[in-house]
Amino acid sequence: MNTDFLLETKDLRVEVSGIPILSGVDLTFSAGQVYAILGPNASGKSTLAKAIMGLPEYKISGGDILFNGKSILHKSITERARMGIAYAFQTPPRIPGVKLDDFICRVCPDYQCKDEDEMLMGDSCACKQILYDDFERLGIRNLANRELNDGFSGGESKRSELFQVLSMRPKIMFLDEPDSGLDYDSLKIVGRELKAIREKRDATLVIISHHRYVLEFLEVDKIYILQRGRLVYTGDMSDIPILEEKGYERFFAEIAG
Amino acid sequence: MPSGNTKKRARSAREKTAPYGDDINLEEYEYSTSHPSDLESLDNISKQDRTLVREVGFDPSQKRVSGSFMQFDNESILADVLIQQEGLEVMPTDLALKKYEWLHDYLWNAVQVDTDKYTARSELENYSGYFIRATAGSRIEMPVQSCLLMKKNQSVQNVHNIIIAEEGSELHIITGCATPANVEKSLHLGISEFYVKKKARLTFTMVHRWSEKIDVRPRSATIVEENGTFISSYAILSPLKSIQTFPKVRLVGPGAKTDLYSVVYGSKSSKYDVGGLLSLEAPKSNGKVISRSIATDECEIIARGDLIGLSGETRGRLECDGLLVSNTAVIRAVPMLAARAEGSELSHEATVGKVGAEQLSYLMSRGLNEDEATSLIIRGFVKLKVPDLPPALQKSIDDAIKMSMEGGM
Ligand SMILES: Nc1ncnc2c1ncn2[C@@H]1O[C@H](COP(=O)(O)OP(=O)(O)OP(=O)(O)O)[C@@H](O)[C@H]1O
Ligand SMILES: [Mg+2]
Repeated sequence: MNTDFLLETKDLRVEVSGIPILSGVDLTFSAGQVYAILGPNASGKSTLAKAIMGLPEYKISGGDILFNGKSILHKSITERARMGIAYAFQTPPRIPGVKLDDFICRVCPDYQCKDEDEMLMGDSCACKQILYDDFERLGIRNLANRELNDGFSGGESKRSELFQVLSMRPKIMFLDEPDSGLDYDSLKIVGRELKAIREKRDATLVIISHHRYVLEFLEVDKIYILQRGRLVYTGDMSDIPILEEKGYERFFAEIAG
Repeated sequence: MPSGNTKKRARSAREKTAPYGDDINLEEYEYSTSHPSDLESLDNISKQDRTLVREVGFDPSQKRVSGSFMQFDNESILADVLIQQEGLEVMPTDLALKKYEWLHDYLWNAVQVDTDKYTARSELENYSGYFIRATAGSRIEMPVQSCLLMKKNQSVQNVHNIIIAEEGSELHIITGCATPANVEKSLHLGISEFYVKKKARLTFTMVHRWSEKIDVRPRSATIVEENGTFISSYAILSPLKSIQTFPKVRLVGPGAKTDLYSVVYGSKSSKYDVGGLLSLEAPKSNGKVISRSIATDECEIIARGDLIGLSGETRGRLECDGLLVSNTAVIRAVPMLAARAEGSELSHEATVGKVGAEQLSYLMSRGLNEDEATSLIIRGFVKLKVPDLPPALQKSIDDAIKMSMEGGM
């Protein structure tokens, strides 16, 4: 058994409501590396990440997912999350009545609420100040008191997802288009956060993206390109400008020919 | 209204069944034969009762209130206005009726005595209950708290409450009803009549916590005059045998406004039939009926909402949301809209569904297990955010909901 990889998919087949979306995908992810998953719209990138996270609508119809060499197919989402797998949703669902700060205090021990006794009258939750400082750093201090994903703008939503995923201190995180819909300044903020993780090398980053900025800024180690539910190309940073210039269609035609 | 006539109307409706809710045989209960005695002080209530009343938002220490009213069964009563509160009256209804001749005009005015057998019976038996009034122009900022406890078996707690916010006044009431878990088969009949005068503002917050063998049939109605505001928020969080209530608010003056919020957290095999009716009778009057229902175990919840537009330039909105957390529970949302005047804009939105799979997956991906995720979604859903409610009352509601969730889940 090869345990060199932190996470692997082997001939992974996934269907949604009986329709095959991934048709045999083999990928490997090593600890501390940075990966990009690229490919045209609807090629199966989000599906891959959701299947790895264990979302029940994404049915594994064949193959395997290994974490530290062991299959995790029978593990629940919760177990996978607690093992250190994280997924930042492309479009996170709204959770009415649950405030972002309360939620983060609850799921992340680093920010945990203080004892009830220490709370002042009328406070619903006393999160540590550091939470608000960290919100500030990601430019989402204004969301602290808002209901989870309720009317967050596109860019706010990306930063809130990134924040949540980072605060769980995962071993491997799948970031689904963390860079789309961001303005120039937000893009820099997100880039800087990710760079800090890369430099620490204690987590594996897997970035699904359609843009080169963050990928180049981070200097990704490896790129995987999916097309119609299959892995069609494995490369590195140097392919990114070529891809941008040619577009997927020509790029695929040339590698085929 | 001469009382002879009232009694006659009551007698004529003795057998009149209510349109909604299971019919109750009123002969199976004992009615009180004496008038309640006075309870000397809140210090005399037992530790258990203290805990119980706290769960419905009553603070026995009276720290942040302007007055208190507490009643045990039909037996003993405490009515207390804190000294510094000018313009506030809190007293047992029967005393108030003796004290003020004019109060008889308010008795059975908003609620009709011959509505059904419950209103009829309430009039025909001994009753007590509270009279709370803010005099014209008084702004009573701290809430008046009231609590009706029911501890006797096989009997009826029969209350008739009259609440008056006189012209230009402001009054906030938080009221709780509770029974200890061991009470066997009993019935709560509660008549409440609210009068909100010109430019007055009344908020009424009610938390119910009954036990499994209790039937509850409150009958309440409100009349709101010109530019008056009535905000009601109601939470029923415990199992019971059955409740059927359909409070009615009549907006009779131009610019009158009302918002009715309710949360039903249904459990065990309880039956809840809870609704609200809004009658928009004057131009520029407007209101909302907003309900949230959560059905667990084998309970059955019917959430009704009825908007009637009788005048032009009126707006009414109905929102019924239901969350089903069990395969053996049922939620029915029954919205009704009737516009009888041109320019009455009525709208509604009703959703009933299970906890969203995507929401669950999302929360689980953040490390919560399925039960934790479900309970977080439910807690979020039941949160009753009532705009314009004083923060202390909002907190009472939040706390009551929190307590019953922790107890029940
Ligand atoms: N829950 C679902 N129900 C139905 N179809 C789905 C579902 N999830 C994914 N699909 C389908 O699977 C295919 C792959 O979708 P996926 O979201 O994985 O693409 P993607 O590569 O992430 O695309 P994009 O770049 O546009 O985000 C699409 O055709 C999509 O419509
Ligand atoms: Mg996608």
